[in-house]
Amino acid sequence: MGTEEGRKADSEESFYPSEKDIEKWMSCAFDMAKDALQNGEVPVGCLMVYADEVVGKGRNEVNETKNATRHAEMVALDQLLDWCRRGNLEVSGVCQQTALYVTVEPCVMCAAALRLLHIPVVAYGCRNERFGGCGSVLDVSSAHLPETGTAFKCVPGHRAEEAVEMLKSFYKQENPNGDQNSSLLLISILRVCLIFHLVLSLKHFSTPSSCT
Amino acid sequence: MEPQTKRWKGSACDADSWVAFPVLSDQQSQDVELVEAFAAPIVDKKETSRLLRELNAVRPLNGLQHVKRVRAVRGSGGPHPLEVLVCLVSDAPDLKVVSIDDLLPPDGVQRDGLGEPFVVKVPARPPLTRPQFELASKHWPTSFHEDKQVTVALRGELFGPLRKARMSAYMAAALTAAETGAALGMEAVGAVAVDPASERIVAVGHDCSGDRPLHHAVMVCIDLVAQSQGGGCYSFDRYPACRFTPQTSGTFGGTEASSQPYICTGYDLYVTREPCVMCAMALVHSRIGRVFYGTSSADGAMGTKYKIHSKKDLNHHFEVYKGVLGKQCEELGGLGRPRQKTRAH
Repeated sequence: MGTEEGRKADSEESFYPSEKDIEKWMSCAFDMAKDALQNGEVPVGCLMVYADEVVGKGRNEVNETKNATRHAEMVALDQLLDWCRRGNLEVSGVCQQTALYVTVEPCVMCAAALRLLHIPVVAYGCRNERFGGCGSVLDVSSAHLPETGTAFKCVPGHRAEEAVEMLKSFYKQENPNGDQNSSLLLISILRVCLIFHLVLSLKHFSTPSSCT
Repeated sequence: MEPQTKRWKGSACDADSWVAFPVLSDQQSQDVELVEAFAAPIVDKKETSRLLRELNAVRPLNGLQHVKRVRAVRGSGGPHPLEVLVCLVSDAPDLKVVSIDDLLPPDGVQRDGLGEPFVVKVPARPPLTRPQFELASKHWPTSFHEDKQVTVALRGELFGPLRKARMSAYMAAALTAAETGAALGMEAVGAVAVDPASERIVAVGHDCSGDRPLHHAVMVCIDLVAQSQGGGCYSFDRYPACRFTPQTSGTFGGTEASSQPYICTGYDLYVTREPCVMCAMALVHSRIGRVFYGTSSADGAMGTKYKIHSKKDLNHHFEVYKGVLGKQCEELGGLGRPRQKTRAH
């Protein structure tokens, strides 16, 4: 995995994936999201990559667990922790060399969790206007929070329109009655509002095999 | 957990030993912002209603509906008992010395009864709390739609002795859990979820971050609430102080589906220390009813660094009170794993 000079002050060799790596893993995250969409599930792809290996891969599990914190990122972080435990590897060492690739900006809670684990880089697709923790609602990723792990670098906007389009199509297929009348401006506004709510609190998506 | 509970019973956790204050939004707790305006004495009192009508027509005070247009000049015994706002300084031409004719259009307001203008400061925004109202009124009379509950809460009098005794008991359970966790090498933080309708403890958790780094007491408690509803995704069997009360389904036969608990909706959370950003946002996602915490924390997100519970852009807001058994919660700080150990080397 290529490393470049990062901007992190407190680690000497800041980890940063190459453009090629970002391209490759984001493409994988988008494949996950597309696959989810085709299966009628929330089209979000989320994976954690360490040393060119997928060590965590999340999908939203809020409904089945009745636990509203089970966002895809939290699930992926748990997998990463389990992976470290199985391999008897030190968590902080692994996390500091791990990147998160996700099609939608992580929420405030997930951004804080990523900080607490010292994940250095997060590449994402579209903004999360309702809950985003990398600048949309709060900038948890770069805020001065010395007791909350380390700040992380964001690589935003990767195929953002496509990520939004997928969320929109998901909503359309979920609610066929919601889009009959194109003049219903209110409904489209409501739809945009609901998209992120749905993404973060409902349903789930399956994980494709192509990225393992 | 029974033996340790004793320490938190009796006088140590007397409901008289603490006061819970609300953690208000920035808008509610900020200083009164002022804006400059021109006022003028009303030299002929009989002209007052006409002046008001005409001034409101030609110089409406846009966005300052809370500001009263006329004030009585108290106790001065001066020549002019009333003063009226003419316009905002920002609406007036940029002049060093102004006369009333500079401030008003040639037509629309008859100058009869108006004295020479002078600059005053008026509150830029409507006061939201009694302290803001009292400060604002020192500058210029202001209307105030009082939220009585906020006023009482700011006096620390929202919760009566019986309520405080119950709150003490819930926080005592959180303190006990925190100590139990600390004895196992965890950070000394405990959390208790309560259903205020039934006054039943739904879940008790303590920090387990020595085992899983994201298992802060609040996150543990949220999963235990999920477990009480037949969900959840972790096992806390190794930590007997982390427990939940299973839902008694269909208590009285006719219980409707709508009364089924949904995540933490309507529940109160008692936590010994102000939640961090992750935990605070987890409580937003979980639709928590209210949060009571003992003591502030350095990166806390319910008053210290952020006020996530009152953040306008978020879709769920709730009340937060701090100070419940504040002294006892503060003393927990010396127990358990030092915070630095959770950080990367």
